Amino acid sequence: MDHRHLLPSEFDLLLDGDVGFGLTPVKAHIRQCEHCRAELEAQQQVVALLDDLPDLAPAPQFADRVMAQVHVFVPWHVTARDSLRQLVPRSQPARVFAGVGALLAAFVVSLGAMALLVRVDVVLFTLGLALERGQGAAVALVGDAVSSLFGEPALRALATGGPTRVLLASLVFLFSLGAAALLLRRLAVLSSRRQS
Amino acid sequence: MPASPLPSSLDLENLPDADVVALAQQGREPAFRELVRRYERPVFSLIYRMVRDRELAEDLAQDTFIKVLNHIERYRPEFKFSSWLFKIANNVAIDQMRRRTVSTVSMDGSPHAVSAAEAEASSFDVAARQETALDEIESRELGSAIEVAIARLRPEYRACIMLRHVEGRSYEEIAATLDLPLGTVKTYIHRARNELRAALEPLRKD
Repeated sequence: MDHRHLLPSEFDLLLDGDVGFGLTPVKAHIRQCEHCRAELEAQQQVVALLDDLPDLAPAPQFADRVMAQVHVFVPWHVTARDSLRQLVPRSQPARVFAGVGALLAAFVVSLGAMALLVRVDVVLFTLGLALERGQGAAVALVGDAVSSLFGEPALRALATGGPTRVLLASLVFLFSLGAAALLLRRLAVLSSRRQS
Repeated sequence: MPASPLPSSLDLENLPDADVVALAQQGREPAFRELVRRYERPVFSLIYRMVRDRELAEDLAQDTFIKVLNHIERYRPEFKFSSWLFKIANNVAIDQMRRRTVSTVSMDGSPHAVSAAEAEASSFDVAARQETALDEIESRELGSAIEVAIARLRPEYRACIMLRHVEGRSYEEIAATLDLPLGTVKTYIHRARNELRAALEPLRKD
């Protein structure tokens, strides 16, 4: 290495503070060669000036201005977890008490589930009965609603018209409902725009 | 011990970036603020030294943070958060500089000028304009000779040298941040140092 000056890449290795056996002859050359030593010192001076450059600060309200435009979105699972956490008591005895209560409740629910599984025929019979009564009640409710809204002839027409007429009437009703909702939404948007 | 879903602001200061980002992804506002607090100066400095206009730099730094924080769910933890942030800051600054170049008025005067006198009145001298801009930088907070020399570097050299020396990034991180090959980053930094050295040479001799 004594027969030549250092290459730019070799200066860069020294400036970047690289270490290793490969640098031993480079460092030895720097000690002997005045030209390369002067060159390295000049470059080190530039690097020192660069390293001392300060970070500049934006205006003090910068963070607030940023945060005013950031949409903080809380995912549903975080909301659910937080809600559950709020249910957990804060004091140690209360938490122990709540834990014991939860265990007891789980035990009772498990026993109930097992009993229902053992008597599955009774469960199915009861469910069927409840479904039949619920269906009857729903039909009576809809009939009452139709007769009070559109009169007795409409109810008779629906009852004698079969499923096609019922379906058609339901579609017309739903379409009217949707159109009314859209119209109201549009009016609300227009009103809020005017206010802003 | 009380259930504590969110570390206090003091704890947030001690957390690594990845953990603070994870809290921000859960919608914790203090975590967003902590990320802004940590990086407002580096991001602003980088952009300011790129565009050399305080007001514009603040707007661009603000855009950078808004872009990053509004899409925080897209952050992938295998990369450094700061690299992602600096990449966006650099892109925002480069885009702005490109737009400014495109919208620059012709040196020969306004294209809407109808007479030679009008064209001359609306023309300007590049050298004089650069000197004015640099003088302004020098007289304000970029007061030192090194800042003026940096302002004269090519934008791609400037970004590399800032990330290397002001932010202390490794060559590999700079390459990842600026989407450049590692060899190109080394070349840019080498050339930037040489240009700076040449610019500061007269002062060294004084």
